Amino acid sequence: MLPDDLSRELGPKLGDRLLGVDPFPGTAGRVRFKPDAALDLFRAVRDDLKFGHLSMVGGIDWVDHREVFYVAWSDEIKQYLLLSADLPAESAHIESASSIWPSANWHERETWELVDIAFDHHPDLRHLLLPDGYTFHPLLRSFKLHEPEELEVKQRRV
Amino acid sequence: MSEMWINMGPQHPMTHGLWNLRVKIDGEMILDVDPEMGYLHRGIEKISEDRHYNEVITLMDRCCYVAGFAWEHLYILAAEDSLHIHPPERAEYLRVMCDEFQRIGSHLMWYAAFVQDLGLMSPFLYGMRDRDLVLDLFQSYTGARMTYEYMRVGGVRSDLPYGFTDQARKVLNWLSDRFPEYDQLCVGSTIFRERCDGLGVMKAADCVSHGITGPMIRSAGVKRDLRRDRPYAVYQQLDFDIAVADAADVTARYLVRMEEMRQSVRILRQVLDWLDQHPGPVIAERLPRWLGAPYAPIGNEGYLLKRSYPKGVGFSSVEEPHGEAQAYVVNEGGEHPYRVKFRSPVYANLSAARQYLVGYHVADIPPIMGSVDVCVGEVDR
Repeated sequence: MLPDDLSRELGPKLGDRLLGVDPFPGTAGRVRFKPDAALDLFRAVRDDLKFGHLSMVGGIDWVDHREVFYVAWSDEIKQYLLLSADLPAESAHIESASSIWPSANWHERETWELVDIAFDHHPDLRHLLLPDGYTFHPLLRSFKLHEPEELEVKQRRV
Repeated sequence: MSEMWINMGPQHPMTHGLWNLRVKIDGEMILDVDPEMGYLHRGIEKISEDRHYNEVITLMDRCCYVAGFAWEHLYILAAEDSLHIHPPERAEYLRVMCDEFQRIGSHLMWYAAFVQDLGLMSPFLYGMRDRDLVLDLFQSYTGARMTYEYMRVGGVRSDLPYGFTDQARKVLNWLSDRFPEYDQLCVGSTIFRERCDGLGVMKAADCVSHGITGPMIRSAGVKRDLRRDRPYAVYQQLDFDIAVADAADVTARYLVRMEEMRQSVRILRQVLDWLDQHPGPVIAERLPRWLGAPYAPIGNEGYLLKRSYPKGVGFSSVEEPHGEAQAYVVNEGGEHPYRVKFRSPVYANLSAARQYLVGYHVADIPPIMGSVDVCVGEVDR
């Protein structure tokens, strides 16, 4: 599948919420979309394009904005597909993909705590790798290494 | 009986690493589980943003301490992609050799730990004994038995020592003679079959939607192996079969891993023959000095102005012994990667723990979790 095929398939479903499809090394392409199109896009990708397996979700801090990306795999065409959306840095949030791909659950928890991107309607959005009560987001560019941070670790909730 | 939550971990013989499985039980029945991770979180992704490209390799070995080579290879593929560097062919064969020996080593480690969970002591000792032979081979060409730091952006650190391939073939012959013995001790034993058959079942459709990969999804009959589906390095040129089973239970996962070891031996025989016949350079020429000068072999560090280096992104995906591992490397033109993101297969396999644990008994947790092959180093990163 090529980027052109992707935009032909997804264009009618998303309209102007599809921002474009770029070539991306090692994948079928990178679909850039507006955050409010998230659920429609996920559904189209899983059901119509047959990308049944969500490999990972991650975030990148570009300082002036944040990017959330999803990598999906299709057993039918044996290719990866990258989906990416830009979110404003002040209130970075997007709809959770957990209802479409249950595998997104932990990846979104991790992205939330490390890159500070919130996932709306996530079934269980709490800390995964960091202690409960940790208020820093280590993968932001503003979090500098080599500077000691004071930290109060609360008890994990039972 | 009343319901209650119990902690299995962070120090528990079942965990094989530092993590906590919280289990909600009613008597002996498992009602719910909640894996609690993070005890081994070292922030490898964050530290990588502060390292030269070759210095990240050191961290990769620590991602999964029983499959260091697989993680080195994963990172190297993505980093080379993002930096537009191509390794010589001999280096790619050497990497595949590392990968496959690592797969055998990792599966032997899994075998030893898994049978010990079942209370079988002799197979545990056999597994550890044979894994040591693989580690001896690693030691002979990398100097290390566990954290190798052997692969480099643009190739590998050094070529094989004299007489290595003959020694490696001896080890392969020894190992292929041992596999029937392992099988006799496990699937040949009624006690083992009674214990493991029909346990921890996870059907193919659930595996796909919950992101399960590797031997676990292949044990459910899904023929997905990235070495075949999306060949990287030189897997295209190699002849091997994908190991699958269909029962989707603990025994099926055992059978898949055993068959994978046999297939790895088959791949390694081809790779060793190729290496014997094709001497050549093992690292690309004219590599940029800032890749990490202390690590670049002397004489091969070419000169390239760092400002003239193009930006790029790298995405790689390899079939690690545990499943599908991915790396995403963003190169913004600096000396360090801008962002590195990894996907660990065990992470996804563990996140679906509720699917394959609920409904079984507490005493079934060690065999089921043993069959998942947990490596906490790569889950927490």
